[in-house]
Amino acid sequence: MILDIIHILLPLLIIGSSLFAVLLKDLIAAAIAVAAMSLLLSLEFFILQAPDVAIAEAGIGACLTTAILVIAIKSTKRMEDEK
Amino acid sequence: MNGMSRIVKTITSIVFPFIMIFGLYIIAHGHLTPGGGFQGGAVVASGCAMILVAYGSVWTMGKIKEKNLSILESIGAICFIILAILGLGFGTVFFKNFLVGSNIIFGIVPSFGSTISNINTAGVIPLMNFAVGLKVIVGLFGIVLIMAYASRRRDNK
Amino acid sequence: MSKRNLFALIFFVIMAVFLFISSLMMHPFGNPEETNMDDEIIENAQIETGANNGVTAVVFDYRGFDTLGEATILFTAVAGVMIIFRRMNK
Repeated sequence: MILDIIHILLPLLIIGSSLFAVLLKDLIAAAIAVAAMSLLLSLEFFILQAPDVAIAEAGIGACLTTAILVIAIKSTKRMEDEK
Repeated sequence: MNGMSRIVKTITSIVFPFIMIFGLYIIAHGHLTPGGGFQGGAVVASGCAMILVAYGSVWTMGKIKEKNLSILESIGAICFIILAILGLGFGTVFFKNFLVGSNIIFGIVPSFGSTISNINTAGVIPLMNFAVGLKVIVGLFGIVLIMAYASRRRDNK
Repeated sequence: MSKRNLFALIFFVIMAVFLFISSLMMHPFGNPEETNMDDEIIENAQIETGANNGVTAVVFDYRGFDTLGEATILFTAVAGVMIIFRRMNK
């Protein structure tokens, strides 16, 4: 029962954080939203009984991708231009 | 990117050995527990990226030279390909697992079913795990380190 | 409607139909079809490779060429990043 609730709740949270990543104007906040999406996705992989994919997703998606995005944003502009 | 405050540096120094032990455990037990060279390498590279963020790219680049990273990654790739070619030499085909059943190292074959894990099994697979793990650690950490160092230079100008 | 928009609309409709049909033909959740390759690997991996972890046995032994390609991709990515940023580091 509780596993069904988690199976329904986690994809909704993933879709929500992805929408935040697209819609936010502050690019650092968008990068954090991408990191949250990766962490929830690794939790989803773990629930679907693929622990090695979950470890790789948590290491690369939630840490290294965020670090690279923040470094790239730091050397360009922070706010997205509104046109 | 300069270093962060003293609190962040202290907490990073406390947490860093545990992340390293966890990642190296995943690499070394790749043939027994979930994970392997790539996953453990990603975990260790995440820990090294945490050191990079906390202490700043200038300090980290002073400790680790870029040329050493290139050499270590090439060593990992060459070890992987040499292990594959040794399968061609001692066995029959490329990527032949030639150490299984021998008495040299990692040679024990477990019985079928769920058995007690013995680390001295699986032939050439742990050695390949170590090679790929070294390659992934140095590769992913090198990408982040070089990008951080380049962006630091542009801030100063 | 211009000709380009018409082509885009036709392509979109065809892709949507394909995706809808393939989503109707999916297996029920958690019940993959059994194939011969699965049984072969599950029965023989522990004896042939000696590894208790079947996924690692497939990745590093049965499908070693895939791992070699992945290592090549990672090496090429690192080499490209080092070539691009080496000029900025001096």
